[in-house]
Amino acid sequence: MNSAEDFVVLIRDEIGLPVTRADLELGFDQVPGWDSLHMLRLVTVLERETGRTISFPDVLQAQSLGSLYRLAVPA
Amino acid sequence: MAASDIGVAAVATALPGPPIDNATLGRTLRAGGTFESWVDTFIGTSTRHLAMDLETGEVRFSLADLAETAGRKALSAAGVAPGEVDLVVMGTSMPDSLLPTTVNVVADRLGIDGVATYQLQSGCTGAMQALDVAHQMLLTGRHRTALVLGGDVCAKHVDLGVEFETLSPGELVNTVLFGDGAGALVLTADPAAGSVLLRRVLVRFVGRGRAPGQIVEWFGMGDRHEQRPALHEDFKAIEEHVPTLAAQALTELIEAQGWQPADLDYLLPPQLSVRMTDRIVKHLALPRAEEVSCVGETGNTANALPFFQLERMLSRMSSGQRAVAVAVESSKWIKSGFVLEAA
Repeated sequence: MNSAEDFVVLIRDEIGLPVTRADLELGFDQVPGWDSLHMLRLVTVLERETGRTISFPDVLQAQSLGSLYRLAVPA
Repeated sequence: MAASDIGVAAVATALPGPPIDNATLGRTLRAGGTFESWVDTFIGTSTRHLAMDLETGEVRFSLADLAETAGRKALSAAGVAPGEVDLVVMGTSMPDSLLPTTVNVVADRLGIDGVATYQLQSGCTGAMQALDVAHQMLLTGRHRTALVLGGDVCAKHVDLGVEFETLSPGELVNTVLFGDGAGALVLTADPAAGSVLLRRVLVRFVGRGRAPGQIVEWFGMGDRHEQRPALHEDFKAIEEHVPTLAAQALTELIEAQGWQPADLDYLLPPQLSVRMTDRIVKHLALPRAEEVSCVGETGNTANALPFFQLERMLSRMSSGQRAVAVAVESSKWIKSGFVLEAA
């Protein structure tokens, strides 16, 4: 996973949510169909894809899909 | 002779195996390091007990095993011999087999014979439905001593080979919410002085025009190859409707009694998960009732839950104290509950 585009594809394919690049900076409550179960699955998939552990307190602070992406793939 | 007061003579429960904590469950599901923190944060349940040994996949307890254990303990605590029981009513969503009914297997093992027995196919209000049937039948005077049973064992739905990352949200939440267990309660039309009395039971179907919040399929030789999911859960609908229906049940029960919210000493709220129960208790906003919950330790044991809550409360009730229990069935929507008063 090398880019935000890859991240969107990952969410669509693995989590099954029909998000687009434009949804990445929406608040989670604005993301169609989003709930905390998707968060668990997404973090699990991100850890597998990146080989990195993501701090759960940081996950809880994340406000958007984009901020989860930046946790998983620091700039 | 019709009875006037129906008393709770004893309550008992049974759990299979040791408590399974979230770390153990996460390891079993190969779920990654976030799982445990996520369950702690969003579900809040610390442990559950499962009929299946997660190391080996062996199912070590049936529902009949657990209900028999709970029933034997309840009869013993009540000082009631099996031959004195003249009514058995059981609520479960997952009987060991469709036939024979689990209630009759349990009655046989306990040495109960020649009496009326009923098994109610029920979701999370099964304990209330079983209590309602037993309560009404005791009030008629036709029966004097009822054994009321409730429980669920979901081993049939535990697939240790499943890939965690392929679970749908509904399947995923089921793996963390539920636990196995059974409960038993002896109801008597001849309560001893100072007994806790069952004053009223509410069971009200409100599912007309409402989509199911939960579907549990069953399969036979003809349709077992269809690859349909066995479980479906609309947890969004459950989150939305359960607090409202719980509040309606509570209001209906205490108004029918002519009680005020401030009259209640104990609240036995719905036990979906620790976090959901917290939200419901806040929503019910009783001024001084003490919450009696078990879901953090037992997980959601469905038809067994009120028995675990009663077990935690009964011995603490003192003369004149009042309690209300509420449960909501979200498969096709039933609001229910009961009220108790210590004589």
